[in-house]
This record gives sequence, structure tokens and C-alpha cells, in this order.
Amino acid sequence: MLADQVTGTATGQDPVAVAKPARARPLWLAGALVVLAAAMIAGMLGGAAEISPWQVVVQVADWLPFVSADAGLAPVEQGLLYELRLPRVLLAAVVGGLLAMAGAGYQGVFRNPLADPYLLGAAAGAGLMTTVAVVLLPGSALTIPVAAFAGAVGGVLLAYVLGSTTGRSGGTATLVLAGVAVTSFLSAVQTFVQQLGVEELRRIYAWILGDVGGGWEQVRMVLPYAALAVMVLIVHGRMLDVLAVGDEEAEALGVRAARVRLVVLLAASLATASAVAVSGLIGFVGIVVPHVVRRLAGASYRSVLPLSLIGGAAFLVLADLIARTVIAPAELPIGVVTMFVGAPFFVAVLRMTRGTAT
Amino acid sequence: MIHAVDLSVRLGGREVLHRVGLDMPRGEWLAIIGPNGAGKSTLLKTVLGVVGHHRGEVVIDGRPGRELKPRERARLLAYAPQTPALPPDMTVFDYALLGRTPYISYLGRESRRDREITGGVLARLGLGGFAARKVGELSGGERQRVVLARALAQQAPVLLLDEPTTALDLGHQQQVLELVDRLRTDDGLTVITTLHDLTLAGQYADTLLLLSGGRAVARGAPPEVLTGDLVGKHFDAHVMIEPGPGGRPVVHLVRGGT
Amino acid sequence: MRPVHKALAGALLGTLVMAACGQTGTTSGPAPTAPDRTATAQTGTATADAAFPVTVEAANGRITIEKKPERIVSLSASHTETLFAIGAGPQVVAADEQSNHPPEAPRTKLSGFKPNVEAIVAYKPDLVVVSDDIDQVVSGLAKLNVPVLLEPAATTFDEAYDEILDFGAATGNREKAEQVVADMKAELNQLAASAPKGRGLTYYHELDQTPYAVTSKTFIGQVYGLFGLENIADEAPGAAGGYPKLSAEFVAQADPDLIFLADVKCCGQNRDALAKRPGWKDLSAVRNDRVIELDDDIASRWGPRVVDLARTIGDAVAKAAAE
Repeated sequence: MLADQVTGTATGQDPVAVAKPARARPLWLAGALVVLAAAMIAGMLGGAAEISPWQVVVQVADWLPFVSADAGLAPVEQGLLYELRLPRVLLAAVVGGLLAMAGAGYQGVFRNPLADPYLLGAAAGAGLMTTVAVVLLPGSALTIPVAAFAGAVGGVLLAYVLGSTTGRSGGTATLVLAGVAVTSFLSAVQTFVQQLGVEELRRIYAWILGDVGGGWEQVRMVLPYAALAVMVLIVHGRMLDVLAVGDEEAEALGVRAARVRLVVLLAASLATASAVAVSGLIGFVGIVVPHVVRRLAGASYRSVLPLSLIGGAAFLVLADLIARTVIAPAELPIGVVTMFVGAPFFVAVLRMTRGTAT
Repeated sequence: MIHAVDLSVRLGGREVLHRVGLDMPRGEWLAIIGPNGAGKSTLLKTVLGVVGHHRGEVVIDGRPGRELKPRERARLLAYAPQTPALPPDMTVFDYALLGRTPYISYLGRESRRDREITGGVLARLGLGGFAARKVGELSGGERQRVVLARALAQQAPVLLLDEPTTALDLGHQQQVLELVDRLRTDDGLTVITTLHDLTLAGQYADTLLLLSGGRAVARGAPPEVLTGDLVGKHFDAHVMIEPGPGGRPVVHLVRGGT
Repeated sequence: MRPVHKALAGALLGTLVMAACGQTGTTSGPAPTAPDRTATAQTGTATADAAFPVTVEAANGRITIEKKPERIVSLSASHTETLFAIGAGPQVVAADEQSNHPPEAPRTKLSGFKPNVEAIVAYKPDLVVVSDDIDQVVSGLAKLNVPVLLEPAATTFDEAYDEILDFGAATGNREKAEQVVADMKAELNQLAASAPKGRGLTYYHELDQTPYAVTSKTFIGQVYGLFGLENIADEAPGAAGGYPKLSAEFVAQADPDLIFLADVKCCGQNRDALAKRPGWKDLSAVRNDRVIELDDDIASRWGPRVVDLARTIGDAVAKAAAE
């Protein structure tokens, strides 16, 4: 039919040769992976305990099958590397990747580079339920991870129920408004509950500022949800690119926009909830990393999603390394580090790419 | 080719379209005209199937609209909105490639053939050299062509264009309309546009449909619809109609007596 | 001089002397005619009756209390303990919700963290004692002419003793207060002297399981200092404050000889909970059962029960040194 009529070389250029559809250029992916590997190595080598990097290397070698090596470390030091530092680096990587990828997902759904994974009330819900668990129900089966997860999911669901419309225009706008309302309300309730148990303020505050030191237990807890969320998000890169032209045009191209939005939001919210459950409310990662990735590697979500995953992981591993070495043997809360490190880095990238931005 | 009966749409409590019908054979050009708020864009979107609830039937190439899945519909109807959302950082090629969306499965990616088709469409519209440029860097006329390229990449037999001459200067207006007309004759496309410029509508369309207050008040060849009475009454304006090239009327706004 | 003039001169002199002593914080009642009735907390072995009005040097200035207070409101659990220890218990009509010791203390819903002036005044207090000036409670009460003593958390032993003596003077229990302080000093000295020295034992005192610790510069830290114990948290840079959040890794490697937990009642921490923490089950304190569960309250107050804390620490040190 019409299909066969499309040829034409008005400019003499072979159109297919020019054709390079958006895809995560392999070079960027490889580069990001190298950065992540370097960050994780650095994370293993550094820490508040006085163990030399060489000893760490030897000890890690000893863990490998078929390799036996003696780093001369006391049992408590070996235990510390295996039980504390290794899972910490892994947890930081997983949480960082989840938050950054969720942020990218939210930005794609809302078509707004300022969206972050806490937009629809995930943080407020998690904060409230954690406060309830700590203040009102200490020692019960409602542990902090369970409470935080339930709160995060609940917050997002509440915002979705309140704010989703079946109409096409303004669909995301009302959702954002609902998210703002839910966040304000849940935060208010949290503040109320918090002051019922003022002695717990320090613990609640510490949780809010974030902590990836939970050990293997937390790593095991987060992995299944992380795997599911990441798989669903990664494959939606192309769909998010199509959504960039707006709901109406996307529908005209045969895409069920509301359905795609729902799936991406669910996956991104699952990612956020599981990250928050094991590490508290670490901010900045979800908004800065996708932004930086976009500036460096282009706006297509087929690049932004996987690169945010890797970049977020590297970012948080490094932030955690700083948090636990800069005032050793004391620690900074990791949320404070992400704020301090993230902001100037972001400004630097903005200035670097200012010329090419539109 | 495309046939609609008794289309009625209610938006925000107001009846925006009331029992409007149209009937277009393949390969012809229908221009929908009317004053602001008459429901022109809504009619286009209703035919397209992106308006929430509508009464009435749309039949495309013998297939009832309600039975069509979104992807099937998108392979039959290509649409260019009045103010398209052009993501500024997207390249021209990627934007045009979006037109292939109805042919790619949900989790799939573009095939080599998709890329070839897109490349060909860009070349045909004289945009071959622009393929790697960012959409945000283009001028108004170039952007309009890019949007057209995306619609053409859909390889749909029906082209729905909402005010394709918006924000274009005279020269570009003519360029775009000539281009659409040439594509129509070359590819046998059925074209439905909304146009606010009555003379231009009269020059290019085979059939005019005059909408006023959500109702179809006149339908026919340009000389039948562009009469002093009809135009004057429904646009509440003082006009003088003159015969123009090809027997098509030219509409002039003139100062009236009263 | 004529008799009327003598009386007037005496009254004038009395007023001037009163003014010179700079009374603050109370409404000035009729000036007493005998200047030698005024006294400060530091002087005097006057009998209880002659002890009023008394001026006390508190953190909110020199406060004068006109007569023996019979309706005291305490907004600090630590102060409640002190008041009862020095025999002022019968004079206390209301204590804040955290005041759980002694059991007979009249605990109410008053909050020491969010003090409500109206709720406090509803008890018609003639003296209010607080340890923090939150939400302007001190000036709020002053506006209503209620005497307030602001005695903040002690940072040294001397400050703790001073506060007890202040309360003794302010409540008309000066003798008992001096006795309590003397007993405390004696007991602490005895505990310190009988502790085995030169063993260089290290310790870690935990406030909560984040983990937050205390350094030896804090009040609690000084109690430990009596026994020659070394605090592992002292390596934390000054920037972390007296209550640093420590790196779990660091505590594991430092492997303190003794671990004291102050998060037992609030947060269910004990030796088993510590063993469950990643990397801590190999700590020698955990393996050798040298994890001491403190009473959260005793470990956070600076009243006379600090002696109990010292005794617990002393016992733990003796036990560890014996092994």
C-alpha cells in the first residue's frame, strides 16, 4: 500500500545511515559500570575501622572459593568486614539504584524533571508509619522495615485514589496535587504522633536522615522487590519516551497512556517503598541522578533508566563512604551527605552543559 | 473511506457537538470550518477516538471505530494536533520515529524497517539533513514539517490535521498546505483538516463542513458553503465573496454599513 | 530624733538594704524591718524557720523565695527525685509525666518537653522547678508572678551538688540537702577508691541502637571516669558533640571490655539483641557476658541516684578485673 511509496533521496543522504534511534549507547553503559565498580571497591577499602586496604584485599580474596589467604585480621575484624562493610556497600548500591531509577520513572510519568520518588507521599507515609511503630508500638511485630514499607505503599495508593482521573487532560496535574495533599496531611499526623513520645525523637530523626548499615538482613529483605521493580521499569523506556508528547498524542499513536502511567508508577513506587523500608528517607538521589544522567547522555528514557540505576548506585556508595569516614569514628547521617554532595555537583553539571541546553 | 454519523459530545456539562456527521471518500480533502468554539477540534478528536465519551458512530475503512483497539486505530488515523508537544531535546529522527509506535509491540523496539521508513519520510519532506538536530532548535516551519513527518511515518490512510497553519507566516502556510495536497494525490490519503482561514480552506478542500455552535450547518463544495449569507451569519462578520482561481471562492473581510 | 522619725528611718534603711540585695523574680512584698533576715544559699546554718526569704542562684538569675513553698510543681524527673531525696516530697503537689521515681511522686500529665503555662498554674504552685526553658515557660510563669527555678542538666559533679543544695535552700530543707550531698560525695569517693586501678579497661556506653554513644566529657562520662575507665567514643572528633553517632564498624574493632546499655527499657536492647547486630556477635563483651543493662532512667538523670549508677559501674569493673 502506501508503505512502498516511502523512498526518496532528496538530499542524497542515505537516511538509514543517519538513523540512530535513542538507545543507551553501549559506551555510556560501560563507563557507568566502571564507575560503579570503582565506587564499590573504594567502599570496601574505606571505613572507620583501622584496617589497611591491603588487608581488605587479602581478606576478600580469602572469601573467594578455592582461594585461601590470611590477612592477619582478628575474628572480630573479619566479621566486621563481612557482616558490616560488605552488606553496607551492597545495600547502598541497591538503595541508590532504586531511588534514582524510581526518580527517573516518576519524571517520565509526570513529564517533569523536578519530580522525585517522594512526590506522591511515599516518604510521608513511611515516616508516619515508622513513627507510629517506634512511639506507639515498640517491641511489637510491626518492625520499622515493615511499617515503612506499608506506609510508603499506603501513601502512594492514597494519592492515586484521590488524584487519578479518567479524563485525559490534566490527568497528571491532579495526581501531583493529590500527592502534595497526602504528603502534608501524613506529615502533620506524623508530627503529632512524634510529640507523643518525645524521648524517641533522636531515633526517629536518625531514621529520617537515612542509614544503610542494616546488614545482610536488610539486603535480603530488599532484593526481591528491587529485582521486580527494576525489571518492570527498565522495559518501559520506550513507552516513557512516547509519553513525552503528552497523553492525547500518545493515545493517538495507539498507546494507552493511563495504563502505562499506572504500571510505571506502581513499579517506581515499589522501588521507593522497598528502598525506604531498609534505609530511611534518603533524599536528593532520586532527583539529582536522573537529571545528571539526562544532561550527560540525552533525554531518552531508554538511556536514562538504566544509567540512573547504575549511577544512583555509585553515587550512594560513595556518599556512604564519605558518611562513615569523614568524622570517623563518628558518622554523619547519609541523608546529610547526599544533600551536601549532591547540590554542588548538580550545579557543576548545570554550568558545564549550559551551552547545549535549550 | 471514513464515515461518521450523529456524533455528539458532552464536555463539562455543555453539549459541544450535536449530531454531527461526515462522509468522505478515499483520497479527498475535507476542511472543517467555523467560528471559535464551534467544536472543530473536538470533532477531529472524536473521530480520532481520544475524547472520553461520545455518542454516535465512526466507521473507518468499513470498520466500526468502537471495535478498534487503540493500535489498530492508530494505523488507520494519523493525527497532528494544533499545538504539538515537541520535547525540545529529542532529535528530529527520534520524533518522527514515534510515528511507528502503532507497529511496535509494547515491550518491543523499532525494527530496521521502522527506521528505513522514517528515514524515507524525512527525506521526502526535505528534512533528511535535519535528522540529528534537536527538535527545539528548529524554526516554526521546520517544526510543522517534522510533525507532518511523524504523522506520515504512521502510514495511515487518513490524515487528521488540526490547524496545520497555526503560527506560520504566509509563505510557510502555503508550503505546508501544498505539501499536504501533494502527499494526498501521491499516496491517495484522505485528509481532514480544521482551518480558520476560509479562503485557504476553499482553495484546497474538496468538501467544506461548516460547524457552528456544535452543529453542522452546511456541507458541500466550497462555492456552496462559502456564501455571503452563511459566512456572515455564522461568523457574525461582514464579508464579500469573490470567485477566485479554479472557481473557488475568495473571502474578504470588508467594513459594513451598519 | 523623735520616735516616728526613728521608725521611718529604720523602714527606709530596711528598704535600701533589700534593694541592695537585688531581689528578682518575686513580687516585692512589704519590706521586712530586720535586714539580717536576708540570706543567700551559701551562708548560714540558720534554722529552717529563719531560712526564708531565701535567694538562690539559678540559671535564670538570682531567685528569691519569700516563704517555704508548700505547692511545688516539678517539670523534670531528675529534679523530682532530688526533691524527694532531700525531704521536700510532702511539699510537691505535681510532677511531670516522666517523673516515675520515687513511686509516691504525684505524677501528672504535665509535660516537661512541651510545658503549658496554664496547665502548670492550675495547680496553684508557689514554686516551679524546671530543667529546660522551653517555649518561654520561665518568662511565662514570671509574668504570672510564680517563682521558677531553672536548674539545667548538670555537666559536672559540682554542678549536680550545687543544684541539690539550691533545692535544699529553696524548699527549706537545707540540712537534709547538705546531708544528701555529703553522703553522695562519701559514697562516690569510696567506690572510686576501691575500684581496681591501672587495668586500662575500655567501655562503650550506648544511648540508643543507632548507635549513639556518650563521650567522657559528658556528665555520665565523668561517672565512668571515677573508675579509671577509658571511653572508646572519645576518639570521635569534637565536631560530633558529646553524643556522637558512632560507626558500628568502629565499635566492633575497638572491642570494648565493657558495654553499658542505656536503651534497655525504651528499646529492648540487651546482650542477645547486641549479638544479633551484624558484626557484633564476636565482640568480647558479648561473648564473655560483660554487657551491663542499666536502668535507662538512672543513666539519664543527675540527682542522688547517680550513686546507684556508680555502684553498678563499680560492680561491673570489679567483676571484669577479677577475671
